[in-house]
This record gives sequence, C-alpha cells and structure tokens, in this order.
Amino acid sequence: MKVSTTRFGDISIDETRIIEMKEGMLGFEHLKRYVLLTQDKETPFMWFQSVDDGSLAFVVIHSFVVKDDYEPVISDSDVRLLDIPSSPAPEDIVVLSTVTIRSDPFRVTANLRAPIVINAGKMLAKQVVLVEDEYPVQYPLTVNQTALEKKTAEKGTIAPTPLAP
Amino acid sequence: MLILTRKLGETIRIGNDIKIAILDIRGKQIRIGIEAPPDVTVHREEVYRAVMEQNILAAEAGRSDTMGAGLSHVWNRLKNPKEDVE
Repeated sequence: MKVSTTRFGDISIDETRIIEMKEGMLGFEHLKRYVLLTQDKETPFMWFQSVDDGSLAFVVIHSFVVKDDYEPVISDSDVRLLDIPSSPAPEDIVVLSTVTIRSDPFRVTANLRAPIVINAGKMLAKQVVLVEDEYPVQYPLTVNQTALEKKTAEKGTIAPTPLAP
Repeated sequence: MLILTRKLGETIRIGNDIKIAILDIRGKQIRIGIEAPPDVTVHREEVYRAVMEQNILAAEAGRSDTMGAGLSHVWNRLKNPKEDVE
C-alpha cells in the first residue's frame, strides 16, 4: 500500500510489515498502525512512521543499543495483550525506545521507561510503561560501542523497510 | 469527583472487579493496594504524564530543523562530541 508521509514523500509499504498497536502511543492513542523505516544504515536510528498520519513519525533505536544490560520487566497482562507465547524465541521480541533530539543545546535522549515492545511474529506492539522506576524517560544517549558490537546477535530484530535514497 | 473517607485497612470497590485498599498511612504518605483485572492498566499519574509528554516532544523533535541534516548527522555528532566545542 501507498503511504503519503511529510518526511519521505509517498512510500510503498508491504502490508505484512505493518505493526499494530492496539492502544497506540500515549498521547496519540487514535493512531494504531505503524511501520518501521530505515533511512541510513550507518546509524542505529530508525523511523517509527504512522501509517494513518503521514506527519507523525518517531525516531527509534533498539533499547539494548542504548543500554546493553537493559532488562525491562513486562507484566503478564502485556504479555497476553501482545500474544507472546510462554517461552518465546528471543528474536521474536523486539524492544525499541523513542529518541528525542534537541538542537539547542544539542542533546539526545532515549525513553527507557516506556519502551515499544513488539511481538515480531505477530506484528503486535504496545508502548509499555514500566512499573519499576529504575529506567528514566530521558536517558542520555551516548555511543555505546559494546552494545553496538553485540548488536543483533542474541536480541530480537525486525527488518525495517528501507527508504529509497 | 466522588469523595469518600476511608480508614486504615478499609477498601473501596469500583465495579465488580476493582478493589482499592488503604494499607498504611505514615504522615503524608499513604500506601494503596490495587486489585484489578489484567486489562486495566494502573499507573502513577506523573509517570503516565511524563511518558505522554515525552512522546509529544519526540514527535516534534523528529519534525524540527535538527533533522534537516538527517539522522546520520545526529549520530556523527554523538560519536564526536568534541566537535561541539567549535
């Protein structure tokens, strides 16, 4: 299907790549369908683009790239909502953090308190607000070389749709 | 807003399946126990609000001029923070 976006113009999306968020993102609850896009393979950033509102997109990053020992605790009810099996393959669960970029002064943070948890097998997602307060909403993003190298080895990934150059 | 007075150890029921108990009172702090079905999410108001505000900020930041130079520019600046001292 075709999606008209403000950032990337008209893009073509394979419908099987659409991620369904039953509850939307907090503050944007009415928008339930997203797609993951990559613009530039040199960076670990991706775009989490709304399918239904072309002007809405979040910059996202794999949370474990931000913090390599990140271990969010997902409640049973969220596990059920996302239809995650009792012993999921690690690669089926993808955890992303939204990234906030400020220019003046330059400051980049990732939201580790409310990750986007995706069941990649079923393309179902939820922004999970963690109950414990050990991870902040604004975690300063630095280049974590260890995490980048460990990268996708034992963690879940989801193939983003590359944007035409 | 419905306002009720409860004593320590007393509870409130909302509908058939939500139960709220006053567990402890120490000065200005009150410990509350909540029993609710799994599909009812319970959050501290300020956390819920902080996440919502951060989402709005993140969505705006994705729109701003910073992004004009693209995400690779942002990444390079993170990799070479010294260049900020120009």
